Amino acid sequence: MNVGIIGTGFMGSTHAAAWKKAGAEISGFLAETEEEASSLSKLYGVPVLSDMDRLVEKSDVIDICSPTHLHHRMVLRAAVPGKSIICEKPLARTVEQGEEMLRVCRERGVQLFAAHVVRYFPEYALAKARVAAGDIGKVGTAQYRRLSYRPKKPVGNWFLDEEKSGGILLDLMIHDFDIARWIAGDVVSVYAKKVSAGFPGSSGDYGSVILTHASGALSHVAGAWAYPPPVFRTGFEISGSGGMMKHDSEEASPIEVLLTQTRGEVPDVGLPSSPLSESPYDLEIADFCSCLRDGNEPRVTAQDGLAALRIAGAALESVTSGAAVMIDGGGL
Amino acid sequence: MKIGILGTAHIHADAYAGCLMTIPGIGILGVADDRPARGAAFAQTFGIRHFESCEALLDAQPDGVIITSENSKHRILAEKAAVRGVHILCEKPLATTPDDARAMVEAARRAGSVLMTAFPMRFSVPVRMVRDQLEAGKLGSPFCFNASNQGMLPPGDRPWFTDPLLSGGGAVADHLVHLADILRWYLGREAIEVYAKSNRIFHADKVAVETGGMVVISFENGVFASIDCSWSRPENWPSWGGLSFDMITDRGAVRVDAFKQNLTLYSTGDGVRDVGPSHGGRSAGLKWLYWGSDANRAMIEEFVLAIREGRPPAVTGDDGLRAVEIMDAAYRSIRKGQPVTVRSSGFNAAQSC
Repeated sequence: MNVGIIGTGFMGSTHAAAWKKAGAEISGFLAETEEEASSLSKLYGVPVLSDMDRLVEKSDVIDICSPTHLHHRMVLRAAVPGKSIICEKPLARTVEQGEEMLRVCRERGVQLFAAHVVRYFPEYALAKARVAAGDIGKVGTAQYRRLSYRPKKPVGNWFLDEEKSGGILLDLMIHDFDIARWIAGDVVSVYAKKVSAGFPGSSGDYGSVILTHASGALSHVAGAWAYPPPVFRTGFEISGSGGMMKHDSEEASPIEVLLTQTRGEVPDVGLPSSPLSESPYDLEIADFCSCLRDGNEPRVTAQDGLAALRIAGAALESVTSGAAVMIDGGGL
Repeated sequence: MKIGILGTAHIHADAYAGCLMTIPGIGILGVADDRPARGAAFAQTFGIRHFESCEALLDAQPDGVIITSENSKHRILAEKAAVRGVHILCEKPLATTPDDARAMVEAARRAGSVLMTAFPMRFSVPVRMVRDQLEAGKLGSPFCFNASNQGMLPPGDRPWFTDPLLSGGGAVADHLVHLADILRWYLGREAIEVYAKSNRIFHADKVAVETGGMVVISFENGVFASIDCSWSRPENWPSWGGLSFDMITDRGAVRVDAFKQNLTLYSTGDGVRDVGPSHGGRSAGLKWLYWGSDANRAMIEEFVLAIREGRPPAVTGDDGLRAVEIMDAAYRSIRKGQPVTVRSSGFNAAQSC
């Protein structure tokens, strides 16, 4: 299986390593500039291409790890010759784009995967499994949080450009929109607030969203880029008619380093880092790889990706209108 | 100084009586309850005098009363006390409707009585400390809050908590006002809009009121706060519940967990049964035994000082009214499914001592 990877930032390089572990070959990288991708190109001994069509020609699978606003165009281009596609979350910048991507892929018989990696984090997967097993009864309320600092890419910081990334509600909080829906089912209404706390005038570094599920359950999702580096904390608390479960990444940290030292390098984007023998990114790519080989259903489908995108789209609309926004079932 | 207790329906009557007994210079005049048997039992527990009626207790001329009746009876008791010039500390929520709360504030003002709302979290040392640091400009400017005040379903021997005619509602009426008050206090601003959702998934078989609630309050200056005010803590939670919040400012964030000062206890036996009402959950096993400072006691001391010094208390009746207005907006939003404007009475704190 030959995989062409678009985008050579953190996600592109992480996926490349995961594909190799899963036994796939890398056919090449597509990057905006050759310099950006030169180290990856050397590491895997494959060319850096600047023309997407050439990468598509050489690949069975296209893995899209580019900025969000490019996903739509790139997925459609890879779908035309019928290549299988992995698309990083969020699936697209707008709901309409996401709907078109799924429609085109379905029409062309193309397999499309939405890389919502949080479903492969063991603490979230275990919570889902135990809720499904009935450990806490019927879910009544849930809280999710993902608290970090403002992404600080040296150049071309598309994260902070709401036109490109959708801002904090779409880029960061879509992780927990997907998890909230995974845990408590489809979402029927969304109320959202957003503010720029640390960077007045920017598009927002804190979001607070209340989701009402079709089951009647209520979820609150908090997302922050307003915390100081190197904070990256995630957590949840899920309460049900028969108990509750909670997780806090700080409390679950098995190693605490208290040495006299200057603070180390802070990565451009805050990332979770619990010590594990298998990285969630590797598990995710291995799952997609096995689905491509054997036709299994992945843990997270393109429909799930679209549903998460619909929640984020409703949240963006709610911030603008100040009203709660209803979500209908959608056309898929 | 003699303090009377009017009503013993609320669990906090026990805690407040315990506090009164340990404050020097304060005596408990006695207790009255509109269910005399309940009042007599309470009197016996604490070794205090039992009055057959609220009027009988007021005729014995207390300096102040603590009202811990069912929420909907706060107004009538407060009006009776105020008309005799007696000072009042009233359990939260101040009333079940803004009209009742407003009438209480007016009655106290006409009589020149102290009317204090029992918001003990204002006297929580960690909550106060962060507020002081915020005031001193050490924490930056707040932009938003992510807050929780969750607890267990109130105990089954106090069924009025889940009778909306007596309590004003379910989890939202019980829990929203604490954080609503803290936020007003921290920000020095009034709430203008509320979005609220509720459900009845926890204890659906036991009660008819909402047991789950999520609320977003927006303030005049654009600051917003989400509040989970659910009765979501399971029966075997290690404590009664808790109150915590993240405050996000232009300099980062501050997390306050007001009841985190606990000893963690794992017991295999029955040895934890008698640790008292402020400790632990209702089952053995894992318990959090609170060792932090007693906010209830500090609150009652403030009530006594306000009476002695003839000044408005640190938490006024108007503060109680404002919180009831936020609660009222939450229930209107729940019915509407959309955010609603807070209907403000137009009083301000200076008028309402």
